[in-house]
Amino acid sequence: MAEIGTEATPRARRRAAAVNEGGNPGGGWRDHLGSLAFLAPGAIFLLAITVYPLVATARNSFYDATATNYVGLGNYQEIFSTSSILVTFRNNVIWVLVFPFLVTFIGLVYGVLSERIRWSTAFKTIIFMPIVFSATASALVWRTIFDLDPHIGIVNAAIQTASDWVSPPGLYPVDTSSGQTVAGLAATGVSSAPKDSLESSSTVTAGNSIELGLIGVSPATLQLTGSQTAVVPTQSPGAVTGLVWRDFSPTNPTAKGQVLPDELGFAGLKLTLLRSDGSSAGTAVTDAHGDFLFGGVGSGDYKVQIDPGNFSSGFTGVFWLGAQSLTPTSSLNQTAQALLSVPLVDISMILAYLWIWAGFAMVVIGAGLASLDREVLEAARLDGAGEWQTFRRMTMPMLAPVLIVVIVTMLINVLKIFDIILNMAPGSSQGEANTLALAMYNFGFTGLGNWGLASALAVILFILVIPAIVLNLRRIRG
Amino acid sequence: MIGRKASTLGLGMLLAVAACGGGTTATNSPATGQNIGGSVNLWAEWSSSEQQAFKAALVPFTTQTGVTVNYTSKGSTISTALGSAIQGGAPPDVALVPDPGTVQTLAKQGSIKDLTSIVGSLSANYGDAWNQLVTANGKLYGVWFKGANKNTIWYNPAEFAAAGITTPPTTWEQVISDAATLKASGIAPFSLCTDIGWPVADFWQNIYLKTAGATAYNSLSTHATKWTDPTVTAAFTTFGQLVGQPSNLLGGLNGSLSNAYPACVDKVFPKSGASPQAAMVFEGDFVANEVKANSANYAPGTTGTGGAACSIDPAKTPCYNFFDFPAPAANSANQGAVQGAGDVAIMLKDTPQSEALVKYLAGPTGASIWATAGGFTSPNKTVPSSAYPDPVTQKDAQALVNATSFVFSLDDLQGTWEPMMWTDMLNFLKNPSNVTAIQATMDAQATAGLGH
Repeated sequence: MAEIGTEATPRARRRAAAVNEGGNPGGGWRDHLGSLAFLAPGAIFLLAITVYPLVATARNSFYDATATNYVGLGNYQEIFSTSSILVTFRNNVIWVLVFPFLVTFIGLVYGVLSERIRWSTAFKTIIFMPIVFSATASALVWRTIFDLDPHIGIVNAAIQTASDWVSPPGLYPVDTSSGQTVAGLAATGVSSAPKDSLESSSTVTAGNSIELGLIGVSPATLQLTGSQTAVVPTQSPGAVTGLVWRDFSPTNPTAKGQVLPDELGFAGLKLTLLRSDGSSAGTAVTDAHGDFLFGGVGSGDYKVQIDPGNFSSGFTGVFWLGAQSLTPTSSLNQTAQALLSVPLVDISMILAYLWIWAGFAMVVIGAGLASLDREVLEAARLDGAGEWQTFRRMTMPMLAPVLIVVIVTMLINVLKIFDIILNMAPGSSQGEANTLALAMYNFGFTGLGNWGLASALAVILFILVIPAIVLNLRRIRG
Repeated sequence: MIGRKASTLGLGMLLAVAACGGGTTATNSPATGQNIGGSVNLWAEWSSSEQQAFKAALVPFTTQTGVTVNYTSKGSTISTALGSAIQGGAPPDVALVPDPGTVQTLAKQGSIKDLTSIVGSLSANYGDAWNQLVTANGKLYGVWFKGANKNTIWYNPAEFAAAGITTPPTTWEQVISDAATLKASGIAPFSLCTDIGWPVADFWQNIYLKTAGATAYNSLSTHATKWTDPTVTAAFTTFGQLVGQPSNLLGGLNGSLSNAYPACVDKVFPKSGASPQAAMVFEGDFVANEVKANSANYAPGTTGTGGAACSIDPAKTPCYNFFDFPAPAANSANQGAVQGAGDVAIMLKDTPQSEALVKYLAGPTGASIWATAGGFTSPNKTVPSSAYPDPVTQKDAQALVNATSFVFSLDDLQGTWEPMMWTDMLNFLKNPSNVTAIQATMDAQATAGLGH
């Protein structure tokens, strides 16, 4: 740590030594023939696999899809005018702005924490382990974690458990997020009512019965609620009786409105008897055969309401890996949408990538923390500085070089982000989650087969990384 | 050393074989079955298990004629490899190519031989739709061997029975009304595969084929018809009748967008112990492989409700079956139009051995052997139904044989803008009312991608 920025370069040292010995400061390559001979194989290899492709790619970026016809700046023009490629710039900006700073912050928190807890070695090992796994494996695991189906995705399962504990779902949940509606359940003698409830289409008076037919629920669901064959209700004086049943018979699909022998009742439905002014005259629950009875009913017309609580589905899962935008851009034109949307899948992928790299940040910052001069901090504490003050005014500035190293390293890492997008974003979100490196891969190495465009993207990526590399080199040289 | 003796022996054998096989009796045309000996070089795209099945199918040919078949698997790049080999002057004798476009191109170049004098018009072996695809200037250049049907909507017969649907739909309107019935019985009608968009494109292409017909379809493939054409709008509108209603799709829009292939098939034909969540899934006849891989208990249903054994009870026998992709009632003339894929044999060098092989491939024997092994259907009329291992595969083959017209998958012919087409299809799914803008985008992408 103390050597960064203070040593002269090896070349300067050699020159100084040569001058001191009275030799020619320029060196002269004849003197170094031996070293050059040893360096040659490595240098040729380096030239072949880095310099030649660099030059070839730069050349290809001015040629067309098959790299045979010169098109000048055509590829660059296409990049900046196609909204599906502008999406990649936007995503790279999101990654660059959010990830390096977040991961450094988390690494700092972990680094400070790991100093003060007892099992710090075990803690550090667990946090660091994800780096060992391949990014592809991690991406696939996180894809399962964020799955839409609460039976598969842990995140949605956890939220669903909490949500169900607060407000339990009804016996017959209707998943409105997948297009189903409560109104769609109404079949015979039932019409939809406000607030996702159903009510009887006609009125009923005391001493009579009413039959309410519903569809859209499978026999399997009914068997789970203990429903049995529907039984036509008997009338009872001074009471309103009735039946709620599944008005669907596979053997007689066109026969609606009658209670057929193979049709099931709806067990456990919560009902309310409504007076003509809308006030409640009593509640009831259907039995296993779908029959209900409201006792002690006075004169007048009543309607039977099937309470909305029966159909509440609770939390059914958020599509964490979907391309829906967190910013309200749906009313904008295509280019503006491409540049300003923030797809939800980006946030999910950033979380997964944080899990992978937080350990690295923690280890580097932890090493930095360990090498801090404790006496200065002790002195500050003796002078009466509080913990937070010590941290903010003494530790942080001393850690600044380490933090910058972590930030810049992660910045370079994130600029070329590729494998986590390819493996974690589902097919339908790939377009919105696209990044420069992934677009370069798609255009160059898959069916799209456009070498010119892929090369142009590679050149742009190279140009974007240069400032970060220059910064890093400056820090090392001093 | 052992090596030296073996290599000398090997060289000797090689010379002997070469001396035997190099006859120039091109003027004789022996009938199939006559023992002529020699060898023939054959290229096709099949490898691993398909290669073994193909080799088993060729055994009677070698037994009857004594001709050794030197088979080389070229994988999916066979058309490109063939082009290079022809240019380089070393093509195989016979090749099986997976697209008729290659046959037409090579016929025009004069690189492949006219087969009319060798096998006749083959009208007794293949329907007109098939022969037309490999005929150029009135001459027949190809013999179809394998076919794949992408015209299939797979359904769970037990779910259909539970909804009281006794026969699968025969028109598009019936599909929509059956979907409503399935919803009423409490199951999601369709499990829509989305992935990166290719299953949605396949679905839409079938709708276009059934509404506009094979001629318009081929015209759209080559971009002679623009994507802004009213027939394209009509196809999107028809498609929207199904997918515009999220309740028709398992999980609605989000559920569909997270539905990749083959997970979408598992929702209709689940692994043993799970219950189906949807009643129908669309994709090509390769779905059957996924179904059987999920559980060995799956029984192929017969036409109709699928038989008494079918049940959605996870403890009982599940069944699978398909129905032909139906055309709207107004376009019933297009009902026989089939979209799919296939492999056709072409002859590059006219030798008695290659002629014998081509005649053999046009007959029923080879195809029947592979058909019995499974995973194979042929448009060849002479292949008996009994060769296929189950009623579902038989029905699949019948659809191919009886096709009134046959077209190849449109998206595979779009070259570099194919992935963009897939994304556009997904965008339509996300916003079915945005048809005009999507059509305009697709047309611009087609022009840029195809160059015209």
